[in-house]
Amino acid sequence: MTGRQHGVKSLLWLIVGALSVVTVARFMNGLGATTNLNDASPWGLWIAFDVMAGVALAAGGFVLAATVHIFHIENYRCFVRPAILTALLGYTAVAVGLLYDLGLPWHIWHPLVFPQPHSVLFEVAMCVMLYLTVLFLEFSPVILEHPKLNNPLLIKLHKLITRVSIPLVIAGVVLSTLHQSSLGSLFLITPYRLHPLWYSPIIWVMFFVSAVGLGLLTVILESFFSAWLFGHKLHMNLLGGLGKAAAVVLAGYGLLRIGEVALRGELPAAFDGSFEGNTFLIEIAMSAVLPAVLFSMHRVRANPYALGWTALIGVLGIIGYRFDVCLVAFRRPMGVSYFPSWMELVVTLGIVAGATLVFIWFVEHLRVYPEEHSQAEADPASKPSSPAFATQGLGWILPESLAAPRRYSLAALVGSSLAIFFLPSDAIFGTEPMAVPVQESRSVEGVVRERGDAFGHELFVPDAEALTDPAASPSDRVAILTVIDGNRDGRLVLFDHENHETELDEADSCVLCHHENIPFQENSQCFSCHRDMYSTTDIFDHFGHVAHFDGNPGCVRCHESDGLPKTRENSKACEECHEDMLVEGTRVELPAEGQTGLAVGYMQAMHGLCITCHEERVEEQPEKYAARFAECNTCHREDNGSALRRLLPYLAKPAASESTIDLTAQADLITNRR
Amino acid sequence: MKSPKAILNDTTLCTGCEKCVAACKEVNDLGPDVSRRWKMRIDDLSSTRYTSIERRTGDHNVRKFCRHCVEPACVSACLVGALQKTEEGPVVYDSDRCMGCRYCMNACPYGIPRYDWEEAVPLVRKCTMCYERITHGELPACVEACPYEATIFGDRDELLEIAHQRIKDNPGKYLDRVVGETEVGGTSVLYISDIPLDFLAYQPNLGDTPLPERTWAALSRVPTLVVGMTGLMAGMYWITNRRNQLAEEASGSEDEES
Repeated sequence: MTGRQHGVKSLLWLIVGALSVVTVARFMNGLGATTNLNDASPWGLWIAFDVMAGVALAAGGFVLAATVHIFHIENYRCFVRPAILTALLGYTAVAVGLLYDLGLPWHIWHPLVFPQPHSVLFEVAMCVMLYLTVLFLEFSPVILEHPKLNNPLLIKLHKLITRVSIPLVIAGVVLSTLHQSSLGSLFLITPYRLHPLWYSPIIWVMFFVSAVGLGLLTVILESFFSAWLFGHKLHMNLLGGLGKAAAVVLAGYGLLRIGEVALRGELPAAFDGSFEGNTFLIEIAMSAVLPAVLFSMHRVRANPYALGWTALIGVLGIIGYRFDVCLVAFRRPMGVSYFPSWMELVVTLGIVAGATLVFIWFVEHLRVYPEEHSQAEADPASKPSSPAFATQGLGWILPESLAAPRRYSLAALVGSSLAIFFLPSDAIFGTEPMAVPVQESRSVEGVVRERGDAFGHELFVPDAEALTDPAASPSDRVAILTVIDGNRDGRLVLFDHENHETELDEADSCVLCHHENIPFQENSQCFSCHRDMYSTTDIFDHFGHVAHFDGNPGCVRCHESDGLPKTRENSKACEECHEDMLVEGTRVELPAEGQTGLAVGYMQAMHGLCITCHEERVEEQPEKYAARFAECNTCHREDNGSALRRLLPYLAKPAASESTIDLTAQADLITNRR
Repeated sequence: MKSPKAILNDTTLCTGCEKCVAACKEVNDLGPDVSRRWKMRIDDLSSTRYTSIERRTGDHNVRKFCRHCVEPACVSACLVGALQKTEEGPVVYDSDRCMGCRYCMNACPYGIPRYDWEEAVPLVRKCTMCYERITHGELPACVEACPYEATIFGDRDELLEIAHQRIKDNPGKYLDRVVGETEVGGTSVLYISDIPLDFLAYQPNLGDTPLPERTWAALSRVPTLVVGMTGLMAGMYWITNRRNQLAEEASGSEDEES
């Protein structure tokens, strides 16, 4: 075995090693922990590449099988076995990729028992299942002909499969035609989301034709790969023939795409300089124009470099078509985007690497390539003289002195270690809600107006002139209002602190809401403990206490009980030391008796306090407070985006130094959302 | 057959009090909303919130939730029939069938279905029009909770009549259109409004063609395609085989002659 083969295999094992780690994370902690998928992008890299592009890349199997077995163009027979093997492994990779992508992969067999024939995806699923079976049967003679398998039953089976080989090939062609095109039909139901340059009532024709082209190109590339790796001979005249066929197919595909877009009158959109327009132009150039033009030139077809590179451009272009339909040209709401996480990339690469390793194993152990190839390998003199592949190996990746199994184990170990090192905490421990730190409330000069309809007051921030105009309304009172908007999302509440004091018995009223004080403080503000907008947070300062009690000897000051784990529950209650921390007569009910140190989310705290009190008022004094007094829109009033913008001139800077919030940008952001 | 039920929203009556949201959360046991990367403030709908109020400039409040289309794209997209259109009107979800392919999420023109991305066993989440409750003769939780009758429940035909009547009785108050009467083949959630409600969908003009018709146009060709391709391939096989045979015979006889 050459150093190059060692190097390639080590690299592949490295990726597979990383894949194993990501696999555990994916199935332990779910899609949210490992992917960048979101509610507006439910399909990502795994569908676009592993499924959409994977199926198309494996199209070489049915194209070559049809060419040789049905059209009897015998010259190409040497490509059939590798093409079928590539297809078999490709479709297996698709199925494996799906297992990662499906939310409930253990239900993957459900289409068999709960068929829903109106779904395009049902048709795709059935075809892929059946075609995978057909491919296995088509490839099985390669295994069965192995001299060690001389069991009479197996020989009989071999004969039987050989006898039905033509119906199998026909079934393969029919099934492929169906699902290659149906992968495009999947998007017929998303006319409002797919950009008009890609959405077409005959998108299924585009998918089929481009898949045939891609199948031919993949066979070319694969020949180059095995020539590079195994030293197999390059049949330049045959590859040139495939290139010629690809030129015809891709020219047809290009004309069809452009013509169809033009007929629908959408062609101007390609030249409007927009992101989608430019993407379309690049995609068409790579998938159709360049390969069709280059492959039609004899010079290109005769030159191994030119042939290989052209095939690569075409392959990337048609994969690009699948990506554009699935991801790039697929509409999402404003501000939502998708770019795969590195773990998604590792899964995609890892599956390809695994399939490649199996491919190499098959080539090494079975007669995938016809006789002349293996002879070529044995006899260095007849090795391909293609200069591109004559030199440098990849042996340097790992020392060649190591025995093969050890090298590959080491490579996989390095891969998995790297993956573990880079795993984000969500992928290890499960997804945690995002932290939304609460920001200090601000204050604004506003107007309190009596409504006179048993509704209480109306708070608002008038325009600058109206604030100084006393004639606006005689009952108006100018007051400093607190702006409660902990997460600065524009859904602000104006709070009349002064009025609440008056209504709730002046000085004694503070404790009703300010129920707990940070040490050395009085009437601590809400945000100083309720630090996260939505989630419960730990507000206990363990480091501070450790320092205060002189490190380790101080543990027992709080963790008093011997033998019990040193947890929050087994420790001294806070108020045992901090007597004045909790205040008497507060309206706030603390959930756990005797233990604090946990603060519920800011929103929950505010709602719990405000709404309960308002509801009580409505119940106890219905003559004074109408039912609306206890409803959300009593406090959450007005259109928030414009309210915030109108507030801008009046907003007093918060006292804390963290006054770096760009209010203008925020207001714009909020307005843009509308 | 039971007459299909529907919900009519009058956005001019909605004050945005969000009692419907609270009731929905309670009935469906959805728990508190927390901030998640994948929510990205699209419209506040999420796996923990089946209905939300979209606040538009000028104190307009529009409730967004599943439209329960008459011919739902999600139902036709689902390959295992986990989503079903019931004869009572609601589109309901059966998690025992779902495989988690999320095609329904792509197919919905309103972008309604949401996913439990944080779960290792994730499900699709969306409003079910309180199917359990309405089959027991109760009102959907949101409708029951609404203090202003801004969202009402009833037979679809009757609600359409009420909607048209309201538009007729209050000239100039509403836009002359019952949203959901015909678009994408009609929906079981209807709106009358004084502002255009285009923002509820991915595109302003959805048209009246039901989405499943678009895929069925391609799917119904499958039998023809199967027969045609099989015939074509078998024919090609026979023709090329025969041609080769003839060529061989010809060369064979030539050999004999020489």
